[in-house]
Amino acid sequence: MSLHLQPVPIATGSRDAESRLVSADGFLVAVLVRLSEDHGVDEGRWFLEAGFGRVDDQGQPTFADLDEAQAWIQHRLDGQ
Amino acid sequence: MLVRKLGSIARLSDEERRAVMRLPMTIRPLPGGHDIVCEHDRPMQCCLILDGWASRYQLLAEGRRQIFSFHVPGDIPDLQSLHLRVMDHSLCALTPVTLAFVPHEAIRDLTTGYPGIAATLWRDTLVDGAIFREWMVGMGRRSAYQAVAHLFCEMYVKLEAVGLAENHRYRLPVMQVDIADALGLSNVHINRVLRQLREENLLALRNGWLNISNWPELAKIGEFDPLYLHVDRLTA
Repeated sequence: MSLHLQPVPIATGSRDAESRLVSADGFLVAVLVRLSEDHGVDEGRWFLEAGFGRVDDQGQPTFADLDEAQAWIQHRLDGQ
Repeated sequence: MLVRKLGSIARLSDEERRAVMRLPMTIRPLPGGHDIVCEHDRPMQCCLILDGWASRYQLLAEGRRQIFSFHVPGDIPDLQSLHLRVMDHSLCALTPVTLAFVPHEAIRDLTTGYPGIAATLWRDTLVDGAIFREWMVGMGRRSAYQAVAHLFCEMYVKLEAVGLAENHRYRLPVMQVDIADALGLSNVHINRVLRQLREENLLALRNGWLNISNWPELAKIGEFDPLYLHVDRLTA
């Protein structure tokens, strides 16, 4: 299963406006948002704004980069 | 502090006041982050907060934490251990705290000898339950924006009742992550909401002090009605 990332601006009501729609086999599985300078040391990290199905996570983790985020999402989709 | 707190819940007679003052207490400071009592413990004493903030919490898998309540000076956050022998959650110091530990035995004697004080403590646990109901509404039905507004209003009324806040300003010594864990939200959401509230000139957070610049608007956003805190009883 391969992931597809589509850049799209997002209205979070904050300066966090850059996001990626993450799809697996054509289905939307997650929305990742790049944290802006508003978040201090976390600026540039990717936040799991929303996850669907197996990617849903109340803890809403953040990731150092998109590779790390994709690996985490893939891991979830693989059912582990 | 205990007299002041109980006095904010119900009117105490001079005799009751003296009995409370006679309670044996062991005063102990604890550093922030230190557990006061842990889940599964069987404590023989209750603690009264004299200074600092504490929280009741439970740890979940993967180290996630849910904070159930914030406690400020005057609170006895583990009062339930007087009647429920085993702790079903933990209590920790969120900031450096000064606590007064009172043996269960002494509280039992006090409540047996003075039914008015027993009723006051009972009333306090009922208010505690009312606060839990409000938090449940917050976690289940309020947006992050509303939940933060509501929490800030609630803490103001609680602190004002024991003389630790006035003019819509108080010391807020907890960290953003504590607020996130209390409201069941991510740290990212709390950060966004705090910025928004600041940019809308509703509040200012500086050096650990929260200044609510527009109380009516903040209360409106959080749909905050202080009724459930029952602190207006004496003036009503």
